[in-house]
Amino acid sequence: MKIRSTKASKIETQMAPMIDVVFQLLIFFMLTLKIVEPEGDFSINMPIGKPTENTEDIPLQPLRVSMKSNANGDMVDLLFGGTSLGTGAEAFARLNNEILKATGSAGEAAKDQEVEIEADYNLRYEYGIASIGACTGRMQDGKLVRYIEKIKFSKVKKPADQP
Amino acid sequence: MKIRTTKPNVPEVDMTPMIDIVFQLIAFFMVITNFEQTQADERVKLPKNELAKPPEVKREHMLTLNVGFNRDDNGRKLHEEPRVLFNGNEILIDDMRKSLLTERRFFEAIEVPLDDVTVQIRADAEVKMGQVQELIQLCQDPEIQFVRFALAATQEVK
Repeated sequence: MKIRSTKASKIETQMAPMIDVVFQLLIFFMLTLKIVEPEGDFSINMPIGKPTENTEDIPLQPLRVSMKSNANGDMVDLLFGGTSLGTGAEAFARLNNEILKATGSAGEAAKDQEVEIEADYNLRYEYGIASIGACTGRMQDGKLVRYIEKIKFSKVKKPADQP
Repeated sequence: MKIRTTKPNVPEVDMTPMIDIVFQLIAFFMVITNFEQTQADERVKLPKNELAKPPEVKREHMLTLNVGFNRDDNGRKLHEEPRVLFNGNEILIDDMRKSLLTERRFFEAIEVPLDDVTVQIRADAEVKMGQVQELIQLCQDPEIQFVRFALAATQEVK
């Protein structure tokens, strides 16, 4: 018996609806795209009015960092324990070194050591963050080497000219 | 004379490369799109710091307070006193007590201890330190009593 060989008929897929949907998706993702810079934060230890956990232990004296500002909010002096470290980015680098010296070896955060930051009322927040960063530690090969875990602010002193 | 009608010869366009590229573009946009509902406000220009890292363990309960200024097209501040940009409202720091009390009651209602709530302050780089501290003090008011605080900054890549 002779078998007639027939070629399988090719089914043509409709590409147009798929392309429509795909383009709609593309436009949706393009329009909803919001470029956000990566963000992080610094924990602040503000235990106001709470008693210390171990009353038998003599609490460590906090390291004191002071920042003086002019009326425009620019930092005019950075002090560590009463010693002036100057101004600008170098001052924060010096502060970082001083904190390292005060806490001992790097890599192991001084768990109980506290830093108290006293900032002038008018000082801009960016300087506050820079000082917190300098006290927190430093970056080494993309990893954070932490010096201090506990950072707090001293009580705010409102200048007389502020409403 | 007999005119022979011929059907126009439609050239077939190869769609495959275009679809490949379009799918690649979709995959790219899907990956970089951030679907997470952040409470960040675009008006706040955070200060930059190399050490500002996202927390290793994601915080379960967080209250974000954006503190910033309204600015004109040239980036100039429209007012000197910063506003707390909160729930679609612009509130002066001194007037935040009522909103913070409401938040406190909300966390109490859902039985979350205030010790587990982190107040994240996203303050503009130009806000005064004293004003940030006043906001923290207000959060620590005996009637409100938030305990944990975090100060946000943009991660600076060096």
